[in-house]
Amino acid sequence: MDDLVHVQIDEREGEDVVVVRLTGELDIAGAEATGRRIAEAVPSSALGVVVDMTDLEFIDSSGVSMLFGLARRVGSRRQELRVVAPAGRPVARVLQIVEFDRAAPVHADVDSAVAEIA
Amino acid sequence: MRALPELFDVRIKARSIAYLFGAGAILGLLTLVFPHSPEVNDLALVLLASAAIVVAVVVWASRDYIRDWHIHAVLVSGVLIVSLANYYAGPSTLYPLFYMWASLYAFYFFRPVEAFAHMTVVAVSYAIVLAIQDPDSAIVRWLLAVGTPLLAGLLISSLLRRLSDRAQLLERSEARTRLVLDTAPDAFITLDRDGVILSWNVAAERLFGWRASEAIGKTMRALIVPSEFGERHDERRLALVASDSPLATESFEVEFIRRDGSRFPGEATVSKVDIGGEVFVSGFITDVTERLRRLAEREALLREQAARAEAERVSELVRGLQALVDAALAHRTLDEILRELVTQVRGVLDAEAAMIYLADEEERLSVGASTAGEISGGHDFAERVAEAREAMLSRDDPAGEGGPLVGVPLLAEGEVTGVLVACATPPRVFGGEDLTLLRLAAERVGLAIAHARVYEREHKIAETLQRSLLPDHLPTLPGLDVAARYVPAASEAEVGGDWYDVIPMAGGAVGLVLGDVAGKGLAGASMVGRLRSALRAYALEGHDGARVVEQLNRLLWTEAEDSQMATMLYVIVDPAANSVRWVNAGHPAPLMVVAGEPAFLEGAGSVPLGVLPFPTYEEISAPMNPGSTLLLYTDGLVERPGENIDDGMAELAARVREAPEDPDALCDHLLATLVPASGAMDDVAILTLRNLPVPERFSAEFPAEPESLAPMRSMLRRWLSHAGAGEMEIAEITTACGEAATNAIEHGGASGGTSFEVSGSRNGSEVELAVRDHGSWREERPGDHGRGLDLMRTLMDTVAVEPTEEGTIVSLRRRLAANGGSA
Repeated sequence: MDDLVHVQIDEREGEDVVVVRLTGELDIAGAEATGRRIAEAVPSSALGVVVDMTDLEFIDSSGVSMLFGLARRVGSRRQELRVVAPAGRPVARVLQIVEFDRAAPVHADVDSAVAEIA
Repeated sequence: MRALPELFDVRIKARSIAYLFGAGAILGLLTLVFPHSPEVNDLALVLLASAAIVVAVVVWASRDYIRDWHIHAVLVSGVLIVSLANYYAGPSTLYPLFYMWASLYAFYFFRPVEAFAHMTVVAVSYAIVLAIQDPDSAIVRWLLAVGTPLLAGLLISSLLRRLSDRAQLLERSEARTRLVLDTAPDAFITLDRDGVILSWNVAAERLFGWRASEAIGKTMRALIVPSEFGERHDERRLALVASDSPLATESFEVEFIRRDGSRFPGEATVSKVDIGGEVFVSGFITDVTERLRRLAEREALLREQAARAEAERVSELVRGLQALVDAALAHRTLDEILRELVTQVRGVLDAEAAMIYLADEEERLSVGASTAGEISGGHDFAERVAEAREAMLSRDDPAGEGGPLVGVPLLAEGEVTGVLVACATPPRVFGGEDLTLLRLAAERVGLAIAHARVYEREHKIAETLQRSLLPDHLPTLPGLDVAARYVPAASEAEVGGDWYDVIPMAGGAVGLVLGDVAGKGLAGASMVGRLRSALRAYALEGHDGARVVEQLNRLLWTEAEDSQMATMLYVIVDPAANSVRWVNAGHPAPLMVVAGEPAFLEGAGSVPLGVLPFPTYEEISAPMNPGSTLLLYTDGLVERPGENIDDGMAELAARVREAPEDPDALCDHLLATLVPASGAMDDVAILTLRNLPVPERFSAEFPAEPESLAPMRSMLRRWLSHAGAGEMEIAEITTACGEAATNAIEHGGASGGTSFEVSGSRNGSEVELAVRDHGSWREERPGDHGRGLDLMRTLMDTVAVEPTEEGTIVSLRRRLAANGGSA
């Protein structure tokens, strides 16, 4: 079966910001691979990365752990991580419970997240 | 003309009367030698005896031409001669003596009436002679002389009559036989043991040109047997004479020679006749010139008829084979062509069986087709034919079993592509003609096979590609049952462009795709491949259905060659929401079956992909409650030549109405009732999905591996939805349960467990879930996994972790909000 989670990489603001769009469901089956793909997609020259989870249907603690890990890695390279998860969606609810905003800011839309970095 | 057949041959009568005259004359002359009465006039006696001798000689010499009245005349002339002798030579005993003989002769050879007539003539003559010579004693002497022979004659006559009464039948039959033989159309010849001709009938006279008088007495060998056959003639006759059987008969054809020297073929039927130790050979000889000529004509006619039949057979074969070559060019499958070939060849050769061996690249032979099993010894024979590279008969093969075979190599561009072998029906054997016929056939057969093989290769590639584009197996979807069928067209040699796909999506939804690319063969198949992967990518990106279809249209519009187009249905079934959404790009409407009643999902119809650059597609949604079934199909299922497609769809609805609900059974029923037994006219693809009824209690077992999580969540969402949970409640409870399951996979799996179970029930407004594994939880550590437990505790009302002997049970409870619970 195809991976449940789909990763689409975009670059914004003249390659300064990498936007990673996640769709599908993110659980332990795909979390590790997804984290690796995102890390590889972000060049050291980039100012930061936006993980867009607007259309992500599901995230569990594995996915959250991946995001925490990503935040640490990005931070160590003095780059910025922003996540997008509109309120009222299951993903936003999980991020809220685990207080992800302590690791990286959570935005309601991609544009505002990109604008914050650039 | 004779009323009755004469009892005696006229020649015997002639001979007898000649002897009579001769003897009378000699006796008369003898009286001159002995002392005799001086009254006798010697000169007169000599003259009269001479006259009698002349008559005797004349009669003897002309016995073959003599007639009955000649005999009577001769007898009367005898009376005259004796009377004159008595008158001139003086009285003697001559007259009574002659009188006696004449009576005997007449009564012996003539009928009584004739005999009496002659007797009267003799008696009157004698009476006159006596009256003149010796008037005194005339009466007494006359009475004595006339009375004695008359009595003797009467006695002989009655004796003969009595004899003839007994012998008459025999005699008559003999006479008849003689008459028959004489007048028989075939020559009848009798020979003595030395080959001298004894009898010679009229037909023999006609046939050989020799009269009986000329032939009788001569040897047959000298007369009518060509000199070169003389020896054989004698040998044959002697062998027949020497044979033990008294009635030996044999028949043979031999050449004879006529009087004029011409020769003719004759048939002789000869028999040995043994009459009281005297052996004859008798035979019929027939001129068979005419018979032989007719026979030859008839044979020529038969040969001509056979030749014509043969020619027709050949031309029929060539026509049949040409049809096969045409068929091969028109893309018939190799199997079909081979089967038809062996049938044709068997028919034309009138063989018991025919088969074709096909050669692979290394010229190894294997059975390609056969009319009736493998011919015994056929493989070895075929290998010899392939090696010799020319047509041959098996008769020069002493080891050949199973009857005489004929074989011919099938060549294409100099390569042996196979061997055609036929087996004759015993006891018939094949000959040179069959060889020629088969050689003729082989040229065309070889071509047909070469064409069919090229085509078959292309077809295989396309079919393999096509098959590779269909899912190997359908995904197991929680709460859903999916079945699909794909039937390639039977007669269409091209691979069709039908395809389907089932894509599990986030949130337990499933995408169903069913399409038909207008364009077959390799190009069509490769386009299907691109559409399929593009659709999967677009769908997983989370686009809505209409957008996905628009993107596919874009792909087809910009990249397809020659305005390729496709019809397609894209359907998303969301069992958690009990809904279905669909986009229709020019495809026959899908069918929704609710409580056994089918209805077409109309609307959302738009143009096929690849027709317009920017068409708009619309996504329509409808409820799809548990227990209902969705059916997607390609037009091959509903289109039949000469029929309105609406009729086809009505028929489909009718068949669906009577079909079982199980998707697999439904597919089978539709194929059985809507696809002709002879095969589909066009490709047929069917995809069915049933939203299974939701059970009151939830219970499922999953393998202890990460891939189990998504189906578990999907089933759980569905059940929660059925159990009345609101959208956010479903998401939160599913997340919590997922955390418990993740732990079960990590811990249970690590300590040897292979599966975990999830069960759920609703008690009033409270939902209770239990996740049970077969391992033991390790010390809770802060960090990632602790986060899982935190999530559970936050999302659920209560969380209990209970280690047992068998493993760990995590119990989760949550009270559902009355309003469907947005958190």
